[in-house]
Amino acid sequence: MNTPESRHPAELGNGRAPLLEARGLSKNYGATRALDSLDLAIAPGEVYCLLGPNGAGKTTTINLFLGFVAPTSGQAFIAGLDVSAHDRETKQRIAYIPEQVMLYRNLSGLENLEYFAALGGKGALTPGRLTDILVEAGLERSAVDQRVSEYSKGMRQKVGIAIAIAKEADALLLDEPTSGLDPQASNEFSELIERLKNRGVAVLMATHDLFRAKETGTRVGIMRYGRLVTELGTEEIGHADLERIYLKHMHD
Amino acid sequence: MKHIVRKEFTDVLRDGRFRWCSVLVGALLLVSLGHGWVQARSAQQEHAAAQATARDHWESQGEKNPHSAAHYGIYAFKPRLALSFVDEGVDPYTGTSVWLEAHRQNDFLLRPAQDATAAQRIGALTAAQVLQHLVPLLIILLTFGALAGERERGTLRQLLATGIGRRELALGKALGIAGALALLLVPAALVGAAALVVGSPGPAASPLARGVVLAGVYLAYFTAFLALSLAVSAWARSARTALVILLGVWVVNGLVAPRVAVDLSKWLHPTPSALEFARNVEREMAAGVEGIPRPDRPALTEQLLAEHGVERVEDLPVNEVGVYLQESEEFGNRIFDRNYGALWDTFERQGVVHEALAVVAPLLAVRTLSMGLAGTDVEQHRHFATAAEAYRRDLMRRMNGDLAENSRTGDTYLAGPELWEETPPLEYAAPTLGWVLGNRILSILVLGTWLVGAVLAAAARVRQAEVG
Repeated sequence: MNTPESRHPAELGNGRAPLLEARGLSKNYGATRALDSLDLAIAPGEVYCLLGPNGAGKTTTINLFLGFVAPTSGQAFIAGLDVSAHDRETKQRIAYIPEQVMLYRNLSGLENLEYFAALGGKGALTPGRLTDILVEAGLERSAVDQRVSEYSKGMRQKVGIAIAIAKEADALLLDEPTSGLDPQASNEFSELIERLKNRGVAVLMATHDLFRAKETGTRVGIMRYGRLVTELGTEEIGHADLERIYLKHMHD
Repeated sequence: MKHIVRKEFTDVLRDGRFRWCSVLVGALLLVSLGHGWVQARSAQQEHAAAQATARDHWESQGEKNPHSAAHYGIYAFKPRLALSFVDEGVDPYTGTSVWLEAHRQNDFLLRPAQDATAAQRIGALTAAQVLQHLVPLLIILLTFGALAGERERGTLRQLLATGIGRRELALGKALGIAGALALLLVPAALVGAAALVVGSPGPAASPLARGVVLAGVYLAYFTAFLALSLAVSAWARSARTALVILLGVWVVNGLVAPRVAVDLSKWLHPTPSALEFARNVEREMAAGVEGIPRPDRPALTEQLLAEHGVERVEDLPVNEVGVYLQESEEFGNRIFDRNYGALWDTFERQGVVHEALAVVAPLLAVRTLSMGLAGTDVEQHRHFATAAEAYRRDLMRRMNGDLAENSRTGDTYLAGPELWEETPPLEYAAPTLGWVLGNRILSILVLGTWLVGAVLAAAARVRQAEVG
């Protein structure tokens, strides 16, 4: 098996030009090296799962792609554009779903979607179309006009997915999106990701969930202490293999 | 941007806290405007009636020695300008009427604050106090969580991930909050404008122009508060911290700084107590002061006899008593100019301290400008007092002149109603808007600096705001 260091990012993935790419991406917080020379390329239609314990650098990677923090060295690219130099343009190409999708409690699910979609440049979508998107994301039609204060976490995650669908983003950044969801909601979430993948969306998902990573991902990368220590195609391995390899790297 | 504005506006309106707070502040504003208007109008009507009665009494004195008429005196009332219903300023403390009589420059009377109980003072909430204290508090309550709250809830990450810029987001929020506040303030401003147009409580001194400038002053004040609140919200680690800091700013601005300004200005520029002042004037009147000798009647008599080449006062072509009384008036006037001039100058220096301290509390600049535009500040009190005193001196000159010219020393002289009618009433022209603003350049500059500084601070803090 090749190590990530031995392969150029362009060689990774399905051979198509990457939508998400990291080149020597590093981030220090004071004396702490949160991310160390990450090279990564995710092509359209790929779901890349970053696995690793807390503090491994998964969220830092996502924050660097979002431009929320500046890299210490290296670059993050979205659709070929350097995130540091093209903040707005790169963000227009992506959607982001955090561990807890936080919405405005005083607004309904539909109003929340309308708001986030409008900010993402999709202000022309009609309420009817937005409702369809919410239903497509798995929300009950009867819930779309309810205030979000009455929503469960699973329902809020579905609004998060709807925001991504409405934005027609090329790439999706997910930070522990299934954490805290019940198995059914988690499964529905994976199906939605699958559909987006099939539409050619590139997905980078940070997760602790080995099972979900194997089920949803096309590739997984295992991180530890800010470094990508190994990278695997999910086709190549079974659930047990993934768990074994993960634990081996955690104990090295 | 318009989506942020609309969402923020909707969010604020749906927030029960805002609804209740704004209903409360709106009600207080409208009630205080209405109460102020009714009070100003009735005070103005009472003044007009009292002025007419005083004039009537003056004209119907019958036959009397002019000097007795000078002692009889007349009341003058400071007119309440149209905008005084918004801000009654120092009027309750300085008084609004003065008795003009011979030999004395009197203090003003009709000082409601003198007779008010402490409870009445607290209860007398004016529109200016609502605008200066409660609206900023409402702005703080609406704005403290604008960015800190979004960060705490986690929505800031999602918002910024859409591609919206931090400044665009903050500006949209500011406009949304401003829109919600406008629902409260615009009706109040319209009610105020309607009150001016429909039934102005006071005489015209460009009331609409003053009203527009007053609205601009409050707009600048509220914008500065909004920008400052946004800056703190962008900088603070949590919404709670932002709220605590902003409440601290509110307390310093509205409670601490005004108190410090009063004490500091008195300490730097002390004024004598009313008793000390009166005793000093009395002492100088009795003995004269350096450079201002008390009139020497024998010397004056000698001078008059020599001037007219006669031996006896009875042979003088003028009444020596009238000449002497006018000399005494001129002497008194110099003592009054000296003492009152120094007192007014001290008040003005104290005012400058208040204006300068506005660098730490914009309220002080706003309060000064608000009172100035409402015509109820110390300077306009001085303006009226000066006009009233000039009128008193002219009145005394006329009375003494009539006595001196139309009678001879030793005569029992009585003047008729013609003299009282010939004496014109006090025609007071309130200062122009330009005069008011010219006096308040320091406050305008400081308020402008606060506005620009707060906006720049907000822009800088928002740009550096952490996502969380």
